[in-house]
Formats: sequence, structure tokens, C-alpha cells
Amino acid sequence: MLKATLRGFLAHKGRLLLSLLAVLLSVAFVAGTLMFTDTISGTFDRLFRNTAPDVSVTPHTELATGRQDLSGSVATLSDALVARVAAVPGVAAARPGVGVSGIVLVDAADHNIGSIGGAPTIGVNWVPTSRSVVDLTSGSAPAGDGQAVIDADTARKHHLTLGEQLRVIAGPGSFPIRVTGIATFNTTNPGATLVFLDTATAQKRLLGRAGLLTSVDVTAAPGVSDDVLKQRVEPVVGSGYDVKTAAQTAKDSSQQLGTFLSVIKDALLGFAGIAVLVGISLILNTFSMLVAQRTRELGLMRALGASRRQVNRSVMVEAVLLGVVGSTLGLLVGVGLAQLLIKLIGGVGMELKGSEIAFRWPTPVAAYAVGVIVTAVSAYLPARRAASVSPMAALREADTPGRGAPLRRRAVLGGTVVLLGAAALVAAGTLHAAGTAAGLLGIGVLLSLIGLIMTGPLLARPVIRVLGGWFPRVFGSIGALSQRNALRNPRRTSATASALMIGLALVAALSVVGSSMGASFDSQVDKTIGADFIVQNGQGQPFPAEVAQAVQGVPGVGLLVRTQAVPVTEIAPDGSRTKVNMLGSTSGLDRVVHLSLRSGTVAAATAPGAVMIASTYADDHHLALGSRLTVLFPNGTQVPLTVGAVNNVDNNSLTGIGKSPVAGTATVQQYAPGVQDDGVFVDVAAGADKAQVKAAITTAIAKDPQVQVRDQSDYKKLIRQQIDVLLNLVYGLLALAIIIAVLGVVNTLALSVVERTREIGLLRAIGLSRRQLRRMVRLESVVIALFGAVLGLGLGLLWGLAAQHLLSLKGMQSLSIPWTTVIAVVLGAALVGLLAALGPALRASRLNVLDAIAHE
Amino acid sequence: MPAISEPEPSGRTPSGTPSPGSPASGHATAPAAARAERLTKAYGAGDTRVVALDTVDVEIGRGRFTAIMGPSGSGKSTLMHCLAGLDTVTSGRIWIGDTEITALGERQLTRLRRDSVGFVFQAFNLLPTLSAEENITLPADIAGRRTDPDWLKRVIETLGIGDRLRHRPSELSGGQQQRVAVARALASRPEIIFADEPTGNLDSRSGAEVLGFLRGSVDELAQTVVMVTHDPVAASYADIVLFLADGRIVEQLTAPTADAVLERMGRLDGQSVDGPSIDGRSSGNR
Repeated sequence: MLKATLRGFLAHKGRLLLSLLAVLLSVAFVAGTLMFTDTISGTFDRLFRNTAPDVSVTPHTELATGRQDLSGSVATLSDALVARVAAVPGVAAARPGVGVSGIVLVDAADHNIGSIGGAPTIGVNWVPTSRSVVDLTSGSAPAGDGQAVIDADTARKHHLTLGEQLRVIAGPGSFPIRVTGIATFNTTNPGATLVFLDTATAQKRLLGRAGLLTSVDVTAAPGVSDDVLKQRVEPVVGSGYDVKTAAQTAKDSSQQLGTFLSVIKDALLGFAGIAVLVGISLILNTFSMLVAQRTRELGLMRALGASRRQVNRSVMVEAVLLGVVGSTLGLLVGVGLAQLLIKLIGGVGMELKGSEIAFRWPTPVAAYAVGVIVTAVSAYLPARRAASVSPMAALREADTPGRGAPLRRRAVLGGTVVLLGAAALVAAGTLHAAGTAAGLLGIGVLLSLIGLIMTGPLLARPVIRVLGGWFPRVFGSIGALSQRNALRNPRRTSATASALMIGLALVAALSVVGSSMGASFDSQVDKTIGADFIVQNGQGQPFPAEVAQAVQGVPGVGLLVRTQAVPVTEIAPDGSRTKVNMLGSTSGLDRVVHLSLRSGTVAAATAPGAVMIASTYADDHHLALGSRLTVLFPNGTQVPLTVGAVNNVDNNSLTGIGKSPVAGTATVQQYAPGVQDDGVFVDVAAGADKAQVKAAITTAIAKDPQVQVRDQSDYKKLIRQQIDVLLNLVYGLLALAIIIAVLGVVNTLALSVVERTREIGLLRAIGLSRRQLRRMVRLESVVIALFGAVLGLGLGLLWGLAAQHLLSLKGMQSLSIPWTTVIAVVLGAALVGLLAALGPALRASRLNVLDAIAHE
Repeated sequence: MPAISEPEPSGRTPSGTPSPGSPASGHATAPAAARAERLTKAYGAGDTRVVALDTVDVEIGRGRFTAIMGPSGSGKSTLMHCLAGLDTVTSGRIWIGDTEITALGERQLTRLRRDSVGFVFQAFNLLPTLSAEENITLPADIAGRRTDPDWLKRVIETLGIGDRLRHRPSELSGGQQQRVAVARALASRPEIIFADEPTGNLDSRSGAEVLGFLRGSVDELAQTVVMVTHDPVAASYADIVLFLADGRIVEQLTAPTADAVLERMGRLDGQSVDGPSIDGRSSGNR
């Protein structure tokens, strides 16, 4: 029996090719993702382990690991600590450390030559040790103000040579440097740009004051363990400092990277999951067709004495074989995919080596599990159907039997699931508790998807009647034939189409959400932003005060308001803690941003010792004008503030201004020293020409390439662009699922052509030309693809609608349906149908007429 | 050219009764419906070369019912396939009407099959997705032409399938399916109809009906029919029977009776003859 199965597997290998490809792609994506993320985390773990000092002393921070700080404030400690730590027994060396990220490196032409796209540009004091990540490879170490060493990757990318004049923009202000040396990474370059200064220069230029450091790095004497040393150092430095061993430092860094990586990993695996789902429908279709085509053969096996179990097992073994072969190939392709991903992030500056690909045991386990489970699940129903073939089938004519249970039960069940899903979606859209609503949305999406897949065969007839209704009129009997061929086996057609539906539904839903988000931002920008211009960094990075000063000096600039953002914890009188970004603002915020105050005034709220809070927060914690609350700043200072204004949040929640507490810039600067601006709002003075002022501001800030001036429409455009980038990324990832779905269409057509060989022979014999035959296959393919597109768009728009309703609670109030995307999806589906039919149509048209007629 | 298509004075029914619409002797000068000259068809090359047709000359009389018989492997199906433009020839020339089909390209051959040739196969003649009527008009529909409604009506009446037109093939009996197939072959008024074992899958009663209709289409509708069969009874419906052996036409019989055909076949085959009731399989070599 096993031998017969193996023979069957090999005999049908052509027909299983596309199923194999589907398994391969899904497995490759899963394996590639795992290897990619393992490689990155492995590389960085090593980097962190090798470079962390035995013991480090840093200023205490209240910020939890992973919480982003875009305030630009740098936590410092006094350099007097170095001598005290050095005196601790067991300390071999204590070195002053200065490290400031978020600086900007510009060349003589004011172009940003630092890292862009996520990785930081870091200013560091030059203290070479055995744990340095770089070695000086040319030139000399920096000595004195105006000298700097640059990392070799940045130098290479921008053709920097020794003696090059550059400028660094740091919190305290910008300063010129001359490249005196180039240092090469001796480990993986994580993508950062490094600027090394001598310690005194780093203190003065990066921290703004002599006598400050960001850390004290300790090397243990031989024989003293890190833990022991840590215990000795702690009492010496006292409270207000974090003392960590190398292992702790490395762990914290890894953890920080880990949270970021696991987001990427989960996202990629999520898309792989969608691809797997699509692959299942392809493979299920294949096995259904193979079983149907082999009905007589299976009947013969049964007649010859094979038991039901044996027949069932023979199909399952075939499926598992497919899974194993597909997984193995997928694993190999996954290695290539991981290398491709590594090369891709190399483009962003992270120089990982392809040869360092991490291959840990979960990767092959996951790969084989995915491959085998997918094929086994897919083949389960067809195998059961195969086992139910009666021995009599061997004797019957091979004409396609009207198989399958009546669709009524499926209609009832599927319809119920669809209704449940729709109900969940409606509930999600109307419910006003965001937490449960999100859960309901998820349930609704899942149920409506499953329900639609179940009822697909029932929808095939009416929908295809409409979609292909014009075929007979335009294409005559060819059109009629292809439309009827598509309807011939509604289960098969709908399984093929639903594979496409899944991907397209997600595309449609996300495009609705993205477009609604853009529209909502537009209307909220109109509603909330009163300023003529906003000077900002496109990525939300902070920038030094010299930018605002430059803008202030531009003639025609009227009111100028600077804002800052500091991650703080609000402690209400009832003791509850809320993590928020506190906004700092100079006076006049209410003139550049439309606020709707419930009580108080902005002027009172931005006065020293005062704060403005959101109405929701006030209600939740029973606060009113004059109440006091405590704000915990990152450096651990708890500051009592008086409520000077309460802001109604409903109208401007997307821009973030309404929800955050707002205090005066002076207050924020006092407790987060070195805090930088994150926005500069500008009103044009009365009588000045807007365009001229904008041009003048552009010129004034040209030496700060990290910031741009935008009017309201530029600002909207920026947000739209950011949404589009995200959407395109998601579409790109969904492409995998859509490609597999297209393979499914190819697969269905190819197997249908095989199944209908005699018919094709007959048609050719009675005078159907090759061209007409190809058109017939193409039209069938187009109608299947369009069916999938229509279902997908319908479902996706529904999802998008529900999601928009749900998110309207969070400020996404405008609904916008991106009709261009909808039309593009329909046209794209038709095109996909045409492309999918190319191979099968060619194959059909090349069949020898006589052989085809004689085909069994 | 051997005079194998000499006009027969009267069309014949199996019972020997002359049919009213049989072609008159005046048709002697009419051009042949199909003609082959030194037709050779060989498979393989060198030692493995098999000659299916060996320089065959044949002429199919217009308005006649011609049967082609022969033992298994005699080349009778190959001859039909070549005459119909379904198969390529190794050498020789073939005409249908005035058209030399051996000179035609694939596209023109397709058009010729569509416009000038009708087919009835042993089984699987109809497209399962189309109704009987749609199957009948399919060749015309493919060509983008309308079928002459009067003619169609006549064909449908002749074949007695008027009440089955809306049915799908799966709802028709084997005999009804073959009748629809005959109707389709007739619908476009082709130059010539080729029938490949049209009764091979039918019981004797349905078979007799279908043969009667083929006979009728010659007698009443003045069509030309070529039928490959291994059944002497089926062959006895024809005006003339061509006997093939080893790729050559070895004999012909006009006004055949089943007994006469059986006797010739017995001689040709030496030992056994495929009797009509012995088995129902096609004896075609391809």
C-alpha cells in the first residue's frame, strides 16, 4: 500500500507542484523570519555582552526599559564620582563616560550625514579600552575642542577623509569639528553613526557643562566578580544612581532590542500565518481534485480489498510527504530569504554579515510543523472523501460525479457564522468601551471571514452570474462556456477565490483605515492647528533651541511658541499612576492650537508650578481647577503641580495635545534639564507675506537639516506620507499571501484543464480555435479572480468600516473609502486572472486533439 | 484512381428497401465529398516504423453513406482521422470538397472542421455544461454564425429530440446523447460527417436508432456520412463498405448486408471477426 502511495505521489508530482510551492513559500517565510530575528538578536546580544563594562554607574532613571524618551534631555552625574568609584577596592579602573544619542552630523553643505531611518547618531568620549567597539584605523585620537574621530562606515558612505570639516548639532548648540581620525567597528555595526570627542570636549559640547558625565564605567580587578564589585560600589555612590553589572547592562539592552524585535517578528509571522491560511485552501483544492480524478482508481483499490483506512492513509501519507518535501525546500529558501532581509537592513546601515545567520533549533521545528500541519489539515477532508469511495466506482463511467453533501447545511451554518461575525462587527463599531470593542472586532473579523469562506460556494452562482453576465454578449458562446465552467464546481471556484479574498479583504480594510486616518488627521489639523507654520523634525526627534532662535530672527515672524515633550508619570491624589508624555510650552499655546478649555486659562496652566490636564483625566481622578497632583520626572524628581486649566479632549485627540498634561517650558526645563524643543509653532506677523516668511524660515533653518518648516497642508502631506509608507509596507507583506492565492488560481485552472482534457479535445475537433480556447480559460480565470476580489472588497470594506467606528473613539472620526484603491484592486484582480491563466491556457491550447479525445 | 466511389443506383436501408431520397445516378459526375491520394501515415522511424496507412487512394462519394471496416490495427480510424483533418499525414494529399486540407495550416484546419466537417464520436460527444440545444448550435456559435432555424428545426424533428433540447447531457440517455451529437454534426450542413464508432457504446436498439438517423440524414437531408465501425450490422446501413487491412483498402462492397460484411471480414481477419455482440470495445488502432 505504501509503495502504491509513493508511486501515486511521484506520478502526480506535476499536479502537486503548485501545492509544493505554496508550502515552500509559507515555510520559507516563517523560517526566514525566525532566522532573521535570531541573527539580529544573537549579534546584538554578543555585542552588548562584549562591550558592557564590568560595572557601570549611571544616573537613576524612572523610565522603564523600552520606554521611548524623545525629550532630548540627558541624565547626567558629576565627574567627581569617578575618583570615588576608583577608590573602591577591587576596581582596576574607573573611566568617565559621555554618550549622547540624538545628535546630528552635517557636512560643509549642511547635509545630514548621520544615520537616518531609526539608528541613532551618537556622540561619545574617546576612551579606548579592550572593550571598545571600534579601533582607530587611521589618523589620530581627538585631542581638544574641534577634533573628532568618525566611524569608518559613515566616512566611507560620505567619502569623508582626514581633515574634513563637519558640524555637530547637539542639545547645547552646534559646533564645528575636524576629522582627525577614522575608527573601524571591530564588531557588527548596528547602524549607528559615531562621533568621538575627547572627554573634556564631549562634556562641554554635548552636555553643555564641564564636570558632568553620563556614566562611570568600571573595570574589575582580576579575581573580583562583577556582582561583588557592584555591591561594593553601590554604597559608595549612594542613592540616585543605577549600578549594573555587565550582565545586567547587556540584559537590559537586549531586552530593549528584544521588545522591538519581537514586534517585527510577530508582525512577520502574522503575515506568514495569513499566507499559510491561503496555502491551505490551495492544497485542499488540489487534493480534492486529485481524489475526484482518481475516483475509479480508488474504487479499484477498494474492489481489490483495500480498506477505507488504507485508502484514507494513502492520501494522508501523500500529503505528509508533500509537507516534508515542501518544508525542506522551504527551509533552504528561508536561509536565502533571511540573507536577503539582512542585506535589506544593511541598506539602513546595519552591517550584519550574511554568514552569521543564526540557525537555532526552533527554526526547523517550526518549519516542519508548519509544512506538515498545513498539508495534513488540507488533505484531511479529501482523504475522508477518498475513503468513502465505493468499490462500485471502479465500474462506473468516470464522468464527474455530482459529489459533495448538499449545500443546505453549509448554508445554514455558514450563514449563522456570518451573521454572528457581522453582529460582532456592529457591536465593535458601536460599543463605547474600547477594550472589549477591540476584542469584538477581532472576533467579528474572524467569524465573518470563516462564515464567508463557508458560504462561498453558495455565493459563487449568483455573484458569478452577475460578474460574468456580460460574457456571453461580448464573447459569445466562449463567454458562456467559461462562465459555466467557473460555476461547474462552486466549491472549487469559491475555495480558489476565497484564497484571494483573504489578502484582498485585508488590503481593503487597511486602506479604509489608512485613508480614514489621513482624513481624520486632515480635519483635526484644520480644527486644532491655528499656527501658520510648524517647524519640526519629520521623525519627531527633538532639536536644540538654536532652531527656535533662528526662526525668531526671521522678519515677519509674529508669535512663536516652542513645545517640548517629556515622558513622565502622573500621580493623582488617589495614588494612581499614569504614564504620559507631558508637554512643555512657552506662552501663547492657545493662540497656535485651538483648545477647548473647560476651566482655567492656558496662561495660568503654563505658569511655574501649574499644569493643564485633560478633562478625561480630571473626571477619572476627581480633579478640578486648583487641585494638586504630582508629576514624576524621569530623573526621579516628584513635583507637585496645581491644575491651572482643564482641557476638553474629544475634539483634538489625534494630535496628542489635548490628552497630555501641559506645563510651562520653564517647569519642564527645570526638572528635565537639557530638554529640547519638539515643535516650533509660528504665526506670521500682521501684514507680512506668508510665502515670503516661509521661504525666509527655510533659509534660516537650512543649517539644521533635521528640521523642516511646514504649513498646514505640508503637515497634512507629511502625515499622509507616513501613513502611506506604513500601508505600503503592509501591502508588501500581504503580497506573499496574494502571490500564493494567485498560485491557487493557476493551480485550479491547470487541474481543471487536465480534468477537462476530453472536453477540450471535443471542442477543438468541432472547430474551436486555439485562440478561442485560450480565451475560454482566461475568461474563467478572470471571473474567478473577480469573484475573489468582490468578496474580499466587500468583507474588507465592512472590516474597515467597523474599525473606523471603533477608532473614532480614539479620534479617527472621519470615514474615507479609498475608491482608487478599490478600483485598483478590481482591475488588479482581473489582471491577476489573466496572468494566472497564461500557463494553463497555453497548455490547453497545445493539447493534441486526438490524444485529448482519447484521454481517460 | 480506383473506382471505389462509383455511384450506386439506389440508397439502401438495412432491409434493402430503396429510400425515397436516395441520390440519383446523375451524381456520378459530381465531385467527391472527400478524396485522398497516395495517403501514407507512419509512426516512428527505422526499425520501429509502423505504417498505419500505406499509399491509400480513396474517394468518398457525395451524398453517400460510406462505412470503413477492418480488423484491429487495420488503420480504419487513422484513415478517418486523416480525412477529417484531425491527424497529420506522412505523405499524400487529401481534399475535402475542393479544399486540399493537407496544405492547410492549423488555423485553417480548425476553421475547416468548424465549417465543413461534422463529427460524431463513440462517447463523450457533448459538453456537460451546455444544454442539448446549445450543444447542437455550438459550432455555429463558435464561428459567430446563426444556425439556419428552418434547417435546425428539420434536423431536430428528424432526430426526434424536440422535447430534450433544454436538458443537460447528464439528463439524457446514451442513445439520446448520440442523437444530439448527430444533430450537432448536421446543424451546420457540413460538407461531410465523420462518425467514429457512433454506436460502440449503445445497446442494439439505441444503436439501430442512431444508425437509422445517419441513414436518414443521407437519404432525406442529402448529407455525406463516413462511419468507422467494426460492427457488420452497423456497416450494413451504409451504401458502400470499404475494407481495410494492413493500411490498405483491400476490398469494397456496395449494397452491403450484414451477412456479406461478416463474411468478408472473416476472410480478411483469417480467424476471428469482431462480432457485434461479442464485445463493445472500439477496435481503432489509435
